[in-house]
Amino acid sequence: MTASVRILLWCAGLAIAACLVTYPLYANGYYLALGISVLYFTILSTAWAMFSGPTRYISLATVAFFGLGAYTAAVLGETMPWPVVLLAAAGVGALTAAITGLSTLRLSGIYFVIFSFGLAELIRQLVIWYEVNIHKSVGRYLFSAVTQDVLYWQLLGLTAIVFLVGWMLGRSRYGLALRAIGADETAASHSGIDATRVKLGVFILSATFMAVTGAVMAPRWTYIDPAIAFNPTISFQVVIMALLGGAGSLFGPVLGVIPLVLLFEVLTATLPNHFSIVLGVIFVFIVMVLPNGVIGLFGPSRWRVPAGGPAAAPARGSDAPLLAVDGVSKSFSGLRAVDGVSFTVTPGEIIGIIGPNGSGKTTLLNTLSGALRPSSGTIRLGGTVLNGLRAHQIARLGLARTFQLVRVMPDLTVAENVAAARLFSTSTGSGATPSELLDLVGLAKMQEAPASELTYIDQKRLELARALALQPRLVLLDEWLAGLNPSELETGIALIAKLRDRGLTIIMVEHVMDAIRALCSHCIVMNAGSVIARGTPEAVLSDPKVVAAYLGGDDA
Amino acid sequence: MLLVDIVLPGLVLGGMYALIALGLTLQYGVARIMNLSYGESLVAAAFGAFSLYSGLGLSPLAALLLAVPVAMVLNWLLYRFLLERLMRRGKDRGAQEIDSILVTFGVLFVIQGAMLVAFGGQYYSYSYLSIPLTIMGSTLAVNRLVALVFAALVGGAVYLALTRTRIGTAVRAIAVDANAARLVGIDVAALSGLAFAFGGGLVAVGGVLISMFLTFNAAMGVVFTMKALVVVIMGGVGNVIGALVAGLLLGVVETAVARLVDPGLTLAATYALFLGVLVIKPTGLFGRAAS
Repeated sequence: MTASVRILLWCAGLAIAACLVTYPLYANGYYLALGISVLYFTILSTAWAMFSGPTRYISLATVAFFGLGAYTAAVLGETMPWPVVLLAAAGVGALTAAITGLSTLRLSGIYFVIFSFGLAELIRQLVIWYEVNIHKSVGRYLFSAVTQDVLYWQLLGLTAIVFLVGWMLGRSRYGLALRAIGADETAASHSGIDATRVKLGVFILSATFMAVTGAVMAPRWTYIDPAIAFNPTISFQVVIMALLGGAGSLFGPVLGVIPLVLLFEVLTATLPNHFSIVLGVIFVFIVMVLPNGVIGLFGPSRWRVPAGGPAAAPARGSDAPLLAVDGVSKSFSGLRAVDGVSFTVTPGEIIGIIGPNGSGKTTLLNTLSGALRPSSGTIRLGGTVLNGLRAHQIARLGLARTFQLVRVMPDLTVAENVAAARLFSTSTGSGATPSELLDLVGLAKMQEAPASELTYIDQKRLELARALALQPRLVLLDEWLAGLNPSELETGIALIAKLRDRGLTIIMVEHVMDAIRALCSHCIVMNAGSVIARGTPEAVLSDPKVVAAYLGGDDA
Repeated sequence: MLLVDIVLPGLVLGGMYALIALGLTLQYGVARIMNLSYGESLVAAAFGAFSLYSGLGLSPLAALLLAVPVAMVLNWLLYRFLLERLMRRGKDRGAQEIDSILVTFGVLFVIQGAMLVAFGGQYYSYSYLSIPLTIMGSTLAVNRLVALVFAALVGGAVYLALTRTRIGTAVRAIAVDANAARLVGIDVAALSGLAFAFGGGLVAVGGVLISMFLTFNAAMGVVFTMKALVVVIMGGVGNVIGALVAGLLLGVVETAVARLVDPGLTLAATYALFLGVLVIKPTGLFGRAAS
């Protein structure tokens, strides 16, 4: 971009900003009211998309927070200064979001939709009940000195803030973390992202904006009752506007707000009785025809990948065990999938875990990585007890893994997949950058491709690069070589050997015995949940018990 | 007696909820469609029964013979021309679910809007078999008992059809794992459409039966959708017995809250119960372990 173009853009931006700020000075009452509608729906749908866009949690609770804000203003508006009222509304919204979010953000899909809708209804019912039984009157009057002009300027300021915050969020590591969670929550937590906390934080942020919008809008009505403040149509309109514009990007929702506010305005004036039919038809049309919104028509948006710190070289040295597993068991009601398994891993070695299908190998890995909580026994990583820690905490301690059924974050690019594992990394030091890691696994040319477009093999490579990006002390590979053809297998074995030579410690679950023989210093054989043999690959593979477990005994 | 006063009407109400939830669990559990316009279909059926009764003098029980086939055809068309397309487009279960929620939202508004145009926003009711009957010292209208008996008959028939017939078994197979069902030669698309249509037929039964003893208006469909969802989720998705128990439980709890605490808090009680179950056991009281 040349300097003159840049100056031109700045001038255009300033001119638009000046028009928006001075709008009440030249717009008459009707157009001012229209401007107010556009602004408050812009704030609501941008705030909605801030949380629901990346996570794909469809929230119908918008009006719950909006209504709480409006009610806060109605209750406090005449006794307290206006800034205090706005702060109180923000506090009420944030607190409600924190309480409800804490208990329910682990619900996903339909459960969350229903919960959020139920929340709005529940709060409305409780407010009505309180007003009838305690306050003894359902409606409240709010006389305030706020004129339409001032109301407009407040909304404009809030719009600027919501865009600024959204922009900063998108550039921060939390933005990418949120998209990683939306793409694959399990993979995200095993990449060191605290899914619950990130979701909760952004949910609270989004709800705070909604509550403040409600408070700012309250003086417009003069008279407020729960049917006005908690009108569920607002939640639906916000969803449809954000979806029309495109919930996946910051400026998407506003593209849906402008046409729909105008359309609704025309509809209420001309076809008041058929309003809801037309609303429904538009809704169906948008979902069927424009699944990515208007902004999706302009091609995928490019997000900036936060620069990752340099990777640490894994420490090599002492002979003290890096991982000590002691008597670990995992039961699923009656079934003991893992039964009293103990072993240790010294730094720099590759341990193989083999055994027939269903012998508990993956369950064992799941207890190590925090996907499952062991029923008994202890797991220590370099002296830290891992029992009871959650997946993201274990990942941050330096234990990375890949999955038997490959899990990449499909909506993110290859580079973003790797960067996601760097977001909350605590290690410092020198080492491979994300692009060096992609080079190492052979994906250097694919950095900007969406992960969903990779072949199966490349997705496995990407998973490994993502695991390495955690700068782990120990990597768990769950059948990482399965499904490779002979030449790919050779490359794969060479790659793992290279990682070992760089000092990485690896536990691999594998059925490819050539790889076990070539790579592992030590093997553990599992059958029916217990360890039945251990030793060098040659020794265990000729052990009669192992042969019997794989091929069946004499009596079988 | 207070206990009978609560339990008896509670069971009648709960029986209706269980019947409605049975239809929703067919649509959601088998066809994988979260149909948010479900309650609107119910209210539409109630309006249909009302029109037939007040216009032609047709008994609501006879109206069932008309309402059920019509509802099934409409639901099948909805599935075939809108929803199936989304099912094919969605990359994964999550995307399909969200798309189906959003589209049926639109359908919700269309049905509700049409009813508002035709009937306005006021409440409707009609008087059919409203003869008081005293049972164990508690008074109940005959129409409620008739509705309960019909709900039990229809529910029982659906349960037998699902467990004792080839098609029913195939439908249950789809509910467990659609991909595996496809592999053993079950025509998943066709049977999903059938299950969706069947669910629509059940909601029509529910609507007609409820219209016999409740007042209703064009805007209250959402309440029924929510209650059906609460029952389905509490009972465990796709679980017929779970829906029955959860439905009865909800009916009794609502009646108890209305009677003992405050009628204004029944809906709040529903949601509180629902949120409680979701938080403690997200797969439902009788649900399978999370996959």
